[in-house]
Amino acid sequence: MSHNPEGRSPLESESGPVHDPIEIPTIPVTATEITDVALVPAPVDDSGPEADDAAEEALDATSGSAQYRRLRLSPSLARYAGAFRTTKGRVGAIGLGTLLLLALVTPVLFPQGYDHQTNDSLRGPSGAAWLGTDELGRDLFVRSLYGLGTDLSLVFLAVPLSMAVGTFIGLSAAFSERLGVFMQRVLDIIIGFPTLILGICIVLILGTGWLSLFLAIAIAGLPSAGRLARGAWLEQQGREYVLAARTLGVSRWQLLVRHVLPNAADPILVQGAVYMVQAVFIEAALSIVGLGIQPPSPSLGALLNTGIRYLQRTPTYVVGPMVLMILLALSLSLVADALNQAVNKR
Amino acid sequence: MIRYLANKIPQVLVVLFVSSLIAAVLPRLTPGDPAVAIAGPDSSKETIETIRAQLGLDRPFHEQYLDWLGGLFRGDLGHSYLLNRPVGELIASRLESTVELALLAGLLMTVIGLVLGVLAGSPRSRWSRALLDLLTTFYLAVPGFLHGLLMILVLGISLVVLPVSGEVPLSQNPEIGIQYLIMPALALAFGPAAVVARLVQTAMVQVRGEEYIDLAVAKGVPATRITLRHVLRNSVGTAIVALGLRIGDLLAGAIVIEAIFARNGLGSLAVMAVNGHDYQVLQVIIVGAIFIAVVAQLLTEVILAMLDPRIRLGD
Repeated sequence: MSHNPEGRSPLESESGPVHDPIEIPTIPVTATEITDVALVPAPVDDSGPEADDAAEEALDATSGSAQYRRLRLSPSLARYAGAFRTTKGRVGAIGLGTLLLLALVTPVLFPQGYDHQTNDSLRGPSGAAWLGTDELGRDLFVRSLYGLGTDLSLVFLAVPLSMAVGTFIGLSAAFSERLGVFMQRVLDIIIGFPTLILGICIVLILGTGWLSLFLAIAIAGLPSAGRLARGAWLEQQGREYVLAARTLGVSRWQLLVRHVLPNAADPILVQGAVYMVQAVFIEAALSIVGLGIQPPSPSLGALLNTGIRYLQRTPTYVVGPMVLMILLALSLSLVADALNQAVNKR
Repeated sequence: MIRYLANKIPQVLVVLFVSSLIAAVLPRLTPGDPAVAIAGPDSSKETIETIRAQLGLDRPFHEQYLDWLGGLFRGDLGHSYLLNRPVGELIASRLESTVELALLAGLLMTVIGLVLGVLAGSPRSRWSRALLDLLTTFYLAVPGFLHGLLMILVLGISLVVLPVSGEVPLSQNPEIGIQYLIMPALALAFGPAAVVARLVQTAMVQVRGEEYIDLAVAKGVPATRITLRHVLRNSVGTAIVALGLRIGDLLAGAIVIEAIFARNGLGSLAVMAVNGHDYQVLQVIIVGAIFIAVVAQLLTEVILAMLDPRIRLGD
């Protein structure tokens, strides 16, 4: 009150820009401190090996190495890792690990390949062929395992790509509001297509095969990731620390990577895990209809497709692919569930 | 409401227009030429050209598209190259099979979903709760085609109580027709039913925590009446949204179920059209499927607003 308003106000407005950078940095700095650790675990891990060995020995002497590892993980990675300390997460991870291992060693265990024909066709289980043989006398156990490999390759390549591209589409609004709105409309159209119809459209252009399935799975997953990412952007863009960072001249790109992405990462990760289960079923659905993987190549869905024709004669035909598909879907959903709980525990 | 519709309907129309454009462009990007397919492998160039002209394939794309779009509004769906019959007739001949399947599945989905949801959302003993939970989890995790296969293996092959493949239209022989229909419809219904059950259950548990339920209990309202009048009515909103969003999936799922049970519905027509490069049939099926899915979503939102006076559409 004692200040002279006329003399004071120009000084204040002049000192504003000088003061603000000193005052505001406390906000972005705390924000980046959190997100830095959360988002950039790589440098932490990279710097590890050489320096760590010595430190590890020293620490090993005093406390267990498990304790040490827990300390080294960045907070968000530690949260994700926490998912695998629950029973659900453990069972899911072990199941998934076993299936992955099985698919990886299949070519070594059965070097004759999935197309090795014999004269014994459509037999039930026997000592030679544990799950029986198919219409061309091929060992169904071997074919199921090779089929599992096809499914795993689809799921683990298409889903991460889909989530990454979807995230990018969702964040496009950060570069231009118009682009963002346009991209939302594109996603709306994708949502309008039931997945199977989308698959049919892709098969029309590219023909049947692995690539079509890959694209169908990748495109059908875009909207969910896109919406989550856009949601995170809309929520964060008005926050004070984002405004402050902008004022300080942090580039849009850095803003996205440092501040928005870490906020979107949790739900998108969970969504990705959930979508992996869906991806297994999309492959199966398209292959059962006859528009997926084509014989003689095996996939779990393609095996079901031919197996259905011989259900009356050899009901055991479908057992292998069915059991593997259920195990795969179950393991993936357990992992997704555990991740979801771990992320929302806070 | 009117403002909401005025805002929403143009959006729906844009989605429909773009998908019709996509449906018309996509088949033309394929390597196969229908004229060649019709003419046969050893025919001369002139024959192929004549057929192209007959089909109108030599005209520019936008003319073909506008013609086709105009035809849609007049009820002329085009002509199938492959079967040499009007598309409308082809679809009509397959429609009954798919509609029967989808309707029965929709009915079963609603009934099973609501019953399971209400049972799970009411106070239960520990064991029956665990059993219900297991059942919904199983339905939720296993996709329709696996339900179908499991049912075929158990009911069709081990016990031989129901036929495993083929169909008899209900309009011809309802008694036998329903035997062919029941397994595919159940297979199609279980998944969405479990979604509905889960949503109803969650909503009911939440509503039960509200104070007005405590009041009703204190007032001495019978438990059944509380469940049905006070809890369920306030819990069905989410379930209706889920049901509406599932209708498109239901139709798409029908394609797979038809393949498993060897039914001659629209799904098998679509697959045949893909394999035979039959553009005209495919265009109609793609646009039709998207149309139904989009309209179902719109209707869902409107019905929801009518049920719950607190929701004001358009704000």
